[in-house]
Amino acid sequence: MANGTAMTAQPSFFREKILMGMGTREYLRSLLTPFNAVAAVILAIGLPLLVYRFAAGLGATTNLSQTAPWGIWIGFDMMTGIVLAAGGFTIGATVQLFGMKDYHPIERPAILTAFLGYVVAVVGLLADLGRPWNIIQALFNYGTASALFEVAWCVMCYTTVLLLEFTVPFFEWMGWRKIHRIMKNALIALTVLSVMFSTMHQSALGSLFLLAPTKLHPLWYTRFIFIFFFISAILAGISMVIVESSISHKIFAHQLKGHGHGDETKLILGLGKAGAVVSFAYFFLKLQGVIDGHAWGYLATPYGAWFLVELLGFVLLPSLLFAYGARNRKVRVVRWGGGLMVAGIVLNRLNVSVIAFNWQLPAAQRYVPSWMEIAVSFALVTIGVLAFRWIVNRMPILREDPRFAEHH
Amino acid sequence: MNHDFLSLYPAHMAEYLLAVAYLVMFIPFWKYVQGGKRAEVEVRVAAPARARAAVAAPAALPSWFQIPSNVYLHPGHTWARLEADGTVTVGADDFAHKLVGPTRAALPAPGADVVQGETAFYVGDSKKSVPMIAPVDGKVVAVNAEAAKKDDGLGDPYGKGWLFKVRPTRLKSNLHQLLGGATAKRFLDAAGEALSMRLTPELGAVLQDGGVPIDGLARAIAGEEWDAVARRFFLT
Repeated sequence: MANGTAMTAQPSFFREKILMGMGTREYLRSLLTPFNAVAAVILAIGLPLLVYRFAAGLGATTNLSQTAPWGIWIGFDMMTGIVLAAGGFTIGATVQLFGMKDYHPIERPAILTAFLGYVVAVVGLLADLGRPWNIIQALFNYGTASALFEVAWCVMCYTTVLLLEFTVPFFEWMGWRKIHRIMKNALIALTVLSVMFSTMHQSALGSLFLLAPTKLHPLWYTRFIFIFFFISAILAGISMVIVESSISHKIFAHQLKGHGHGDETKLILGLGKAGAVVSFAYFFLKLQGVIDGHAWGYLATPYGAWFLVELLGFVLLPSLLFAYGARNRKVRVVRWGGGLMVAGIVLNRLNVSVIAFNWQLPAAQRYVPSWMEIAVSFALVTIGVLAFRWIVNRMPILREDPRFAEHH
Repeated sequence: MNHDFLSLYPAHMAEYLLAVAYLVMFIPFWKYVQGGKRAEVEVRVAAPARARAAVAAPAALPSWFQIPSNVYLHPGHTWARLEADGTVTVGADDFAHKLVGPTRAALPAPGADVVQGETAFYVGDSKKSVPMIAPVDGKVVAVNAEAAKKDDGLGDPYGKGWLFKVRPTRLKSNLHQLLGGATAKRFLDAAGEALSMRLTPELGAVLQDGGVPIDGLARAIAGEEWDAVARRFFLT
């Protein structure tokens, strides 16, 4: 808020762009909120642990072993972080390639989420690698038959593409017109690249599990797992945008006023329709995977019950909620469907990479994450959320800078 | 172990059955998702603003031809407005009024069927008349007798000058063919520009001083052949 003293102060870059026009003291005072207090506690625990992991090694901080080399830093931070970032290419392709310009208002938040999701996933991955500095070797050892090679290339290339896509609002924020125009013109090409890399990346993460037919439970293992990963990524992209726009709508409502967001209902209902159709198809594909793997004898076991919880509660139910909400123009129902679907995708990735992995081992040998792994994961997610809020509060993400609007 | 629960062939049979079941179930699912309430809800909300929009718009907009935001425009220069009682009011737009000038209308009888894109009524004077087309399909339920009688009966194009009301029969697909909001405005502006290309020099002065075009432009352009000009714009 502008006050009497603000008028005499020199308008500096730092004050205008970083402190959002507030004085330093005023800004610091504005940070004192319950949300920030919780975030500070999480970071105060998680960040030192992250440092400790690099100082003392994986053995000291995690419950990983030779039989369970992948923990929640892969299963949650990497697998889930990447799949929830799928909104970037889903909405990017919808707007830039399929020409559905109605969805333009949600393109930037989707790309920002994707970018931050990837950055967080990369940090999680680096923490998980025994010798992270060797990651660069993946670029120069052409192991083209390896799924991990594809994953490594895609994650690096796509993070770069997302960074470049993100420069459009960034340059707008900085007011750099010339380079902004160049990047804006490059956006279509970048979107093509983003679709290409993320298609490969999302499915390659699934391909990793093709190597583990005996370790992954037959209900989840299928030779089509890479297709399932890709389709569920599209679903995650759609659902994340629904969830995110609902949250943004509440938290950043002041930014949305008068910026053409009156059509938000229409967008959510449109996304709901898409979500309904895709999840309906995904539901049948999952069943097809069970039949193809001759695995339905397992449906009567405890793992089978858990599989049905995922399939009926977190795929079919959100599909029906999407369909009902979109048909009857009930935005709330579509939002519930979106939330449930996001939870379902997270559950699926955890099932594949942690819960139903190594399912035949005796309980004593099964992997259970250490508290330090969980704390670091929480800290990484918190950093992602804080970064999203920091950027949205400052840069033109939910609305375009009117000086850069497309009039000509 | 359980991998052998099904032998190869029955498993394939189950796969085929599931695929067929999916396709069969997908059709009603798709229809269910695509159906349901449509934009009508939004239109009803906008309807009370009609009177205000009609009054305020001319003052705010420098455009030659006006169109309120709550009517749908047919490229043949007729408009349709959804009413709260489920009927659709039909009229000729501002452009048609100014093109044809003081005129009377020959309207369909109540009970008659009109079809989108086909001739539904005529506007003109005692000597000549020009057909105009219906913006939606439906059965005529009411006719504006004032507009049919008086020579200047068309009057205010979107208010008193409405022509007839229909009970629509295929509204949803009809609306796909109509222009609304900013698109309709742009369409009228483009029609105005096309018209200005045909204007004679003595009328040019009207444009240069920024004036609003006079009524009866078609006569000013083409004299007795005005109906040919009008037909071209009305797509008849």
